[in-house]
Amino acid sequence: MEDLVGGWWDKLIRRTAYRGYPQAAVALAQIEKQAPLFFRAMGGDPALTLRTAVGTTHGARRRLLERIAGTGEQVELAWRDGQSLYLPEKIDLFPDAARNRELYFWLMALAAQPQHGDGDDGNGDWLTRNRRASAACLAAMPGLAALYQRLVTALLPLRDTPRDAAAAAQEAAICQALQQPEAAIALPPCRTPPQPVLLWLHPTPPTAPTAGTDDKQTPEMEDSDSKETKKKRRYRARRDTADERKNGMLLVFRAESIFTWDEYVRVNRHTDDDDIEDAGAAAEDMNTLTISRDNRRRASRLKFDLDLPAAAYDDTPLGSGILLPEWDYKRQRLVAEHCCLKPMLPRDATPAPLPDQLQPLARRLRRQFQALSPERTRKSGEASGPDIDLDRLIRFLAEKRSGVAVAEPPLYQAWPPGGRSMACLLLADLSLSTESWLGEAGQVIGVIRDSLLLFAEALSACGDAFGLYGFSSIRRDEVRYLLLKDFAERYDDTTRGRILALRPGYYTRMGAAIRQSTRILLEQPAQRRLLLIVSDGKPNDLDHYEGRYGVEDTRQAVLEAKRAGLIPFCVTVDKEAGEYLPHLFGRRGYSVVHDARRLPQVLTSLYASLTA
Amino acid sequence: MNAPARAALAANLPFYQPVADECTVFETAWRQQLPVLIKGPTGCGKTRFVAHMAAKLGLPLFTVSCHDDLSAADLVGRHLIAGGDTRWCDGPLTRAVREGGICYLDEVVEARKDTTVVLHPLTDDRRILPIERTGEELQAPPGFMLVVSYNPGYQHVLKTLKPSTRQRFVALSFDFPLPEVERAVVQHEGGVDERLAAQLVTLAGQIRRLTGYDLDEAVSTRLLVYCAKLIASGMAVRLACRTALVEPLSDEADTLAALMAVVDTQFGA
Repeated sequence: MEDLVGGWWDKLIRRTAYRGYPQAAVALAQIEKQAPLFFRAMGGDPALTLRTAVGTTHGARRRLLERIAGTGEQVELAWRDGQSLYLPEKIDLFPDAARNRELYFWLMALAAQPQHGDGDDGNGDWLTRNRRASAACLAAMPGLAALYQRLVTALLPLRDTPRDAAAAAQEAAICQALQQPEAAIALPPCRTPPQPVLLWLHPTPPTAPTAGTDDKQTPEMEDSDSKETKKKRRYRARRDTADERKNGMLLVFRAESIFTWDEYVRVNRHTDDDDIEDAGAAAEDMNTLTISRDNRRRASRLKFDLDLPAAAYDDTPLGSGILLPEWDYKRQRLVAEHCCLKPMLPRDATPAPLPDQLQPLARRLRRQFQALSPERTRKSGEASGPDIDLDRLIRFLAEKRSGVAVAEPPLYQAWPPGGRSMACLLLADLSLSTESWLGEAGQVIGVIRDSLLLFAEALSACGDAFGLYGFSSIRRDEVRYLLLKDFAERYDDTTRGRILALRPGYYTRMGAAIRQSTRILLEQPAQRRLLLIVSDGKPNDLDHYEGRYGVEDTRQAVLEAKRAGLIPFCVTVDKEAGEYLPHLFGRRGYSVVHDARRLPQVLTSLYASLTA
Repeated sequence: MNAPARAALAANLPFYQPVADECTVFETAWRQQLPVLIKGPTGCGKTRFVAHMAAKLGLPLFTVSCHDDLSAADLVGRHLIAGGDTRWCDGPLTRAVREGGICYLDEVVEARKDTTVVLHPLTDDRRILPIERTGEELQAPPGFMLVVSYNPGYQHVLKTLKPSTRQRFVALSFDFPLPEVERAVVQHEGGVDERLAAQLVTLAGQIRRLTGYDLDEAVSTRLLVYCAKLIASGMAVRLACRTALVEPLSDEADTLAALMAVVDTQFGA
């Protein structure tokens, strides 16, 4: 009974003390699709990703009700660092949903401003920084200024006036800075920290993950198979050294110190005691994760062994291998029979239909690409055909009458079968680097798999001949060339199954794979032959095939393909591709997909625009 | 040319705000009888520049917008039947050569490959136009100039200018003008005040940051002028921006909404 009443009381007092307006809440998810574009347009760094911020304890004096209820200690503020832009997960500050939504846009515009004075020397700077950034926004954007005025007008009545004189002076300065961001205002000193200002950026943003000395561990949870319900959150992270004492279980208990969730207790425990499901839940309740290094990996997946796998687990080889040359830039010549390329089929591939989640997009793409497919159109100027080309006949007769000797032109119209005559070979990079993760989008290999599937759906709808291949390599004696669909095969459940069975592994000897693809593509009778390469990074292999050697060999392979009359084109998800791809494929021969999740859409639309 | 005629010409000169020394380059190329290639994004002022220079040099201008069915015969000319007889009719290129004017081929990469056959002899030191159908061979007079343009922004593997063609031209690269210059253009062409022009140009700068990320091609100077014209004729500013700056750029609802949010940072109420 006591429990029940306690629970009611708790619920009631929490609800009464809560200062937001949940009915007018706007979630970040609602504006998520517009946010990155808006942030970039405001001048924000296009490489930043969007994440939700975690609550911060502000330390300011709370209202009586809040203190009774034990709420209101934390507030979600926005900030940005070298990696990401952090915004509150939801905003319910104002009773009007439109204001809450506007606050998101205001925060993005503010965060996109170049940061003045990077030093974090306390609150005075916090106020000046935000004041200056606000003033810069308002001066440049009159429309935004109107929005800001609305926000400030709505915000000021919601702020408390402290009774303490120093705190009141501080509050007055903040209010003044909010109203006139262009005026020089300093923050008067005060013992208690000021009330948080939700219109401004975080006073002391959590440190960026790169700031630490240990580059392996990031404050984010690394367990790969925990189901994250929330977005990737940023936890205020603190690094600590692990306790090296072997049996540290004994702890003198002192009644006055009650530990909270996130206080780090230096106890050496075996990590395999922990229940992995609990870890996720616990992390969500904490606002500081203390990270320490130990020599065990918890929830780490078994990584690929980079030596040859046991034959039983390897892909099925098809024959002994094809010898291919390789370019040695130091000697400036092609070394004949330098690489051994082994065609293979993905192992354990069972026929499978298209995964359900891709169905809607596939349907749309098929419809789009059917429009591309060559209709049987009347073609004039044929040497023979069922109809007479009247236009040309009249012109010809007219010329003949003028007395000039003109050879008889083709004067018929015909309905030749659709003549797009296009062949495309798609070559996908399956090296181990594609195993890396892209946030909630899954792994690069997953995105590549989806892209291949959708690309094949689209191309089979438009009727262009196409082949799908993948490659990876382990030194020059084993360039693994995976056949997913060759030009003669139909695109059906068998090929879909092969694509779904793709696994990443090994390295990227791109030159050999391009040479083999060139050979295959040259056997196609089409008029135009496109070699489309999907990659995620520089060419490299275990031996000297890295850096300049790999780049130069790939460049030669691309040049050979161009000389053979093919059109090579590279699509990459590597953000640094601008450094080396122009050298490999030419300024207009590649495209960088900045958001890898969009690769499937980008790839198909690129194909359409490249060939339409 | 006498003085009053020159003054009349200057009054009718199509407005063009020089960005760098492109006018001098063009004029020098014309004096030296060199063909010119202009490349740049859509709506940055390529066509206007050619019109302006033609008027300034007092030359007749023959503009051809190239399309994928444009053949050499369309440029050179053809026989027509008139009253039971045939009559030769010059194409725009032939007329330009005969009259010693400027022939401007807009978006030349779109034209069919056989057009290069007639362009090549005109672009080297021979400067001749052979007309196969009449057996004529025209020698271009000193006043004749060939100008072609294309937009390198489209990534299209099948439609690029062949290096052998490209090598024959003096090339000028155009881009959207600097904010100060663009402000003057929008103010003059759109008929709006300086403040509004400045705001429009700032907005365009914000939207142009999205090129390559969210948009394939950003807002052009031409669209800015359209928008300014709509505003100058009394349309509400946000509506003008929506119809002239936002809607032409994308079809995706989310992109449009985000672009409107960007517009509101300048013109929001």
